[in-house]
Amino acid sequence: MCAMTVNSLETDVRAWGRRLAERLPDGGRHPAALAERRLMRTMIGDPRLRAALFRFVDVRPACRDRTDLVRHLHEYLAEAGAGSPAARRLGGLVGRRTLELPTASAAALGVAQMAHRFIAGEDAGAATAELGALWQRGRCVTLDLLGEATLTEAEGDAYATRCAQTLRELARMSAAWPAQPMLEHDGLGPLPRANLSVKVSALTPHLRAHAPERALGAARERLLALLRLARELDAHLHVDMESLDTRESITALVLELLADPEFADGPSAGIVLQGYLTDSEEELERLLGWLREHPRGAPFTIRLVKGAYWDHEVVMAAQHGWEAPVFTDRRSCDRQYEHLTRRLLDARAEGLPLRPAIASHNLRSLAHALAYGDRLGLPPEAVELQVLRGLGDDTAAAIAAAGRRVRVYCPVGDLVAGMAYLVRRLLENTSNDSFLAAQTTGAELELLLERP
Amino acid sequence: MTTETTFRNEPLLEFRRESVRAQALRALAELREKLPLRIPGSGEGELVSINPVAPSEVVAVASDSSRATAEAAVERAASAAPAWAAVEPAQRAAVLQRAAGLMRERRQELAALAVLEAAKPWAEADADVCEAIDFLEYYAAGVIELGHGRPLVQLPGERNRLQYFPRGVCAVIAPWNFPLAIPTGMVAAALGTGNPVVFKPAEQTPACGHALVEALHAAGVPAEALHLVCGRDEPAKSLVAHPKVHNIAFTGSCAAGLSIIRAAAEPAPGQHHVKRVIAEMGGKNCIIVDADADLDDAVPAIVKSAFGFAGQKCSAAARVLVHRDIADALNERLAGAIRALRVGPAEDFGSDLSAVIDDEACARINAFLDGAEHEPFARADVPAGAGHWVAPTLFVDLPGHSRIVNEEVFGPVLSSERVADVEAAVEIVEAGAYGLTGGLFSRSPSTIEMVSRRGIVGNLYVNREITGAMVGRQPFGGGRLSGTGPKAGGPDYLLQFVEARSVSENTVRHGLVI
Repeated sequence: MCAMTVNSLETDVRAWGRRLAERLPDGGRHPAALAERRLMRTMIGDPRLRAALFRFVDVRPACRDRTDLVRHLHEYLAEAGAGSPAARRLGGLVGRRTLELPTASAAALGVAQMAHRFIAGEDAGAATAELGALWQRGRCVTLDLLGEATLTEAEGDAYATRCAQTLRELARMSAAWPAQPMLEHDGLGPLPRANLSVKVSALTPHLRAHAPERALGAARERLLALLRLARELDAHLHVDMESLDTRESITALVLELLADPEFADGPSAGIVLQGYLTDSEEELERLLGWLREHPRGAPFTIRLVKGAYWDHEVVMAAQHGWEAPVFTDRRSCDRQYEHLTRRLLDARAEGLPLRPAIASHNLRSLAHALAYGDRLGLPPEAVELQVLRGLGDDTAAAIAAAGRRVRVYCPVGDLVAGMAYLVRRLLENTSNDSFLAAQTTGAELELLLERP
Repeated sequence: MTTETTFRNEPLLEFRRESVRAQALRALAELREKLPLRIPGSGEGELVSINPVAPSEVVAVASDSSRATAEAAVERAASAAPAWAAVEPAQRAAVLQRAAGLMRERRQELAALAVLEAAKPWAEADADVCEAIDFLEYYAAGVIELGHGRPLVQLPGERNRLQYFPRGVCAVIAPWNFPLAIPTGMVAAALGTGNPVVFKPAEQTPACGHALVEALHAAGVPAEALHLVCGRDEPAKSLVAHPKVHNIAFTGSCAAGLSIIRAAAEPAPGQHHVKRVIAEMGGKNCIIVDADADLDDAVPAIVKSAFGFAGQKCSAAARVLVHRDIADALNERLAGAIRALRVGPAEDFGSDLSAVIDDEACARINAFLDGAEHEPFARADVPAGAGHWVAPTLFVDLPGHSRIVNEEVFGPVLSSERVADVEAAVEIVEAGAYGLTGGLFSRSPSTIEMVSRRGIVGNLYVNREITGAMVGRQPFGGGRLSGTGPKAGGPDYLLQFVEARSVSENTVRHGLVI
C-alpha cells in the first residue's frame, strides 16, 4: 500500500477502534469483575503465584477429595512462596488446619466458577439457554467439544458420536431462535445457525507429525460422516487447527474431503489459519489456490486466528534445535495478522466464495479488519469477527452493539476435560504479550490502537 | 567444564516437513543402490548383516574375524599407542570435531543405514546419528578441558601439578541397538583421551560400525590408532582377554557385562596393569504413575517409552507401577493406545515401530510371551511376512514371580501392576536388580521430591518419557546391575579413560624459592 492509503486506513482503523471501545460494556464497576481484574493484575505481575495457581487449576480434577486438593494447593504455594510474598501469605492461610476444609471448598468453587466463565456447560443441551440468550443479543456461536486427548479408537468414536449429537442438538434448538438478519445472511447466501468446531486430533489416535497420510486414512470416515450429517442438518462444520505437528494432516484431510464432488454444494465448512506461524502466508495462498481450483457451491470459511500453541511451538523448537516456526515478537505477529486479514478480505472482494472470519481479542486487529472491509466496499455482513467465550465477552458485546456480526466460540464439556483448555486460556490471558492483559492493566486506548 | 555452557545438541531433522522426509527417502534409495556394502577387513569367514524387516535383503558383508585377527589388531594398536598419546589434546579434539562434521555431511545416509541395518524407524535413526555427533562434539570439548589438568593446593617452594594420561589400548565392544551413537561415544572418549582403540561392532550392525571408523580415519585418526574388528563372540572374547588391553568399554546385556568383568579381572602372565571395565548393562525400568497423574500425558509417554524401537533400548519402560485408584482407567487407555500402534517397515514414516533385530531376539521374546501366566491385556497387529515381527503386548497384574515382571525382555512387552501408593512402588523398584532409568508421573511437588531423593535409578524422568537421554543434558547410565556407573554424555565420563598422575617439584634452591 502507498503511504497515503496507509495513513487514511490508519485513520479509519482508529475510528473503528474508538467506536468499539465506546461500546465496551462498563463492567468495570461490578464487584466480581473488579475482583477478577485485581486477581488478573496480581497474576500478571507475579509469575510464581501465576505458576502455582495454574498448577492447581490443572490438578484440580485429578484430586480425589478435599484433603488431597488442599495438599496440592499447599505444595504449589509453598514452592512459589520463596519468590512470591502473595503466595507465601496464601500458603500460610491454606496450611492452617482449621482453615483447611473451608479453603478447599472455596478453592474448588473458585476453579469451578472460573471454568464456567470459559465453558458454557457440560454439553450442548446444558448450554441451550446460554446459546439462545447469546443469539437473542445478536451474537452467533460455534460450539467446541472439550475432551480428554484421544489415544484410542474408542475415544475417537466417542468424540465423533458427541459431535453428531451436538450437531443434532444445535440444529434442533436453533430452529426456535428468532430471525437475526446480520447473523444469518451475507452476500454469498444463508449462514447456518448451527455451527460446530471439531478437532481432528480428537477424531483419531493416528495423527503423526511424520506421516500425515496416516490420519487421512484413520480420520476420513469419521469426518466424512460428520460432513454428511452437517449437510443434512444444514449446519456449519469448522475444523480447528492445533499444533504445527498436525497442520499438514488436518489441512490435507479437509481439502481432500471438501474437494469431493459429494460435498460440492454443502455443507458449509471451514478451516483455520494461524497467523503466528512464520509461513502462514504460504499456507493462506495454498488455501486460496485450492479454493480457486475447487469452486464449491457452499462458501468456504477461513478463520484467521493468532494461534494458541505459541509456548508449545517455541519450546518444542528449542528442544529439538529447530528455528521457531512462530513469530517471536508481538509486533511482527500483529503485523502478519493484519497482512493476512487484508489478503483474506481482498480475496473475498475479488469474488472468491470465501467467508473470512477474523478471530481476535485485540481491539486493534478487529478494528483493522472492519476498516479494511469498509475500504474495499464490502458490505457489513461480509466480515465476521470471532471471540472466545469468557475472554471476549465484552468485545462481543461491543461488536454486536456496533451492528456487526460476531461469533462466540463456546467450549462445552465437563470440568476434567476443560482443564487443559482453561489453563491455556488463563495463560494467554495473563501473559505479558496479551492484549487483554494490557487492557486489564489500564493501557491507554490510543496506545492499544497503535499500528504494529 | 566449559562444555556445559558451549555445547549444543545437534538439531534433529524436522521430519514434520514434507521436504525433509523426501530428502531422507532419497538418501535411502541411493543407499539401497549400493547394497550390499562390502566392509574391508581380513577375515576367515563372512559376516552378513540383513534388514530385519526383510531378512532376504543383505545390507552388508563383512569379515567374521578370528581370535588371531583381533589379537593382531591389539598388537598394532599397542605399537601405535605412544605416538597417539603424544598428540596434543587440542589436536585430538580437533580430530573428533572433524569427524563430527563428516558425519553431519552424511547424516541422511547414516540414518538410512540405521533404518536398514537395525530396523530403526526414521526419527530414532536420525536421533542416533545426532547423538553420535553430539558425543564427538561434547567429548572434544571435554578432552581440551581435561588437558589442562586440575588445580591443586600450592605452597611456597613446591609446584604441584595433576595431569591426565591415556591408559593404553581400549577395546570397544558395542551393541546393535544404537549402532552409531553408542560406539561413537565409547570410541570417541577413548581416542580423544589419547588411547588407541580396537572396536568390535555388534555382529548385526557392522556397516554402521564401519561408517564410524571411516569418519574418524578421514578426520585424521591414524589407521594404526583405530582398528575395526567385525565378527561374533570370538574376537570380543580375545579382546577382553588380551594382556595389552587396558580399558574395555562395553554396552550390552547384564550377563555379557558380568562375564567381561570377571574375565578382565584376571591378569594374564606379563600383564602389569589392572584392566578397567566400563560397562553399561541392562535395565528393568519402571514408570510409577501416581493417582494425581494426567493420563493424557502419561499414556503416550508410557507407550513411547515401552514400544519405541520395539522396546530394544536399555532405557525402555518394562513395568508400569500404577496407583490402584486409577489403574483400571490407565490400563484401559494404554490398551487402546497399544492397539492403535502401527508396526511396519522402519523406512515407512507411518510406522510407530518395526521388526526386532533378528530371529534369535524374536524367539527369545516369544518365549517370554509363551510363558506368560495369563493372556495379554492388549496387543497390536503385526504385518505378515518374513520380517522379525513381534506384536507390542501389554500384560496386566501378572503374578510377582512372573519372568516378564522380573527379567529384562528387551522387546515390545510391557507389564502393568497396581500398587497401593507411590511408596509401595518405590519399594518395588528398590527390590529389583537394576537401576538404570525410571519414570514418575505425579503433579505433587512433595511426591516428586521424595522419589528423586530415594535415588534408585541413574536417570529419573518426571512427567515425560523415560528414553531419549540427550548428551550434555541427561548424562546416561545407572548403578546396581545396570552398569559400572560412568555417565555417558556427562562431565565425568572421560575420567574412566585416563590415569591421573601428579608431579610435585621442589622449587627451593640454596634456600631460595625460584
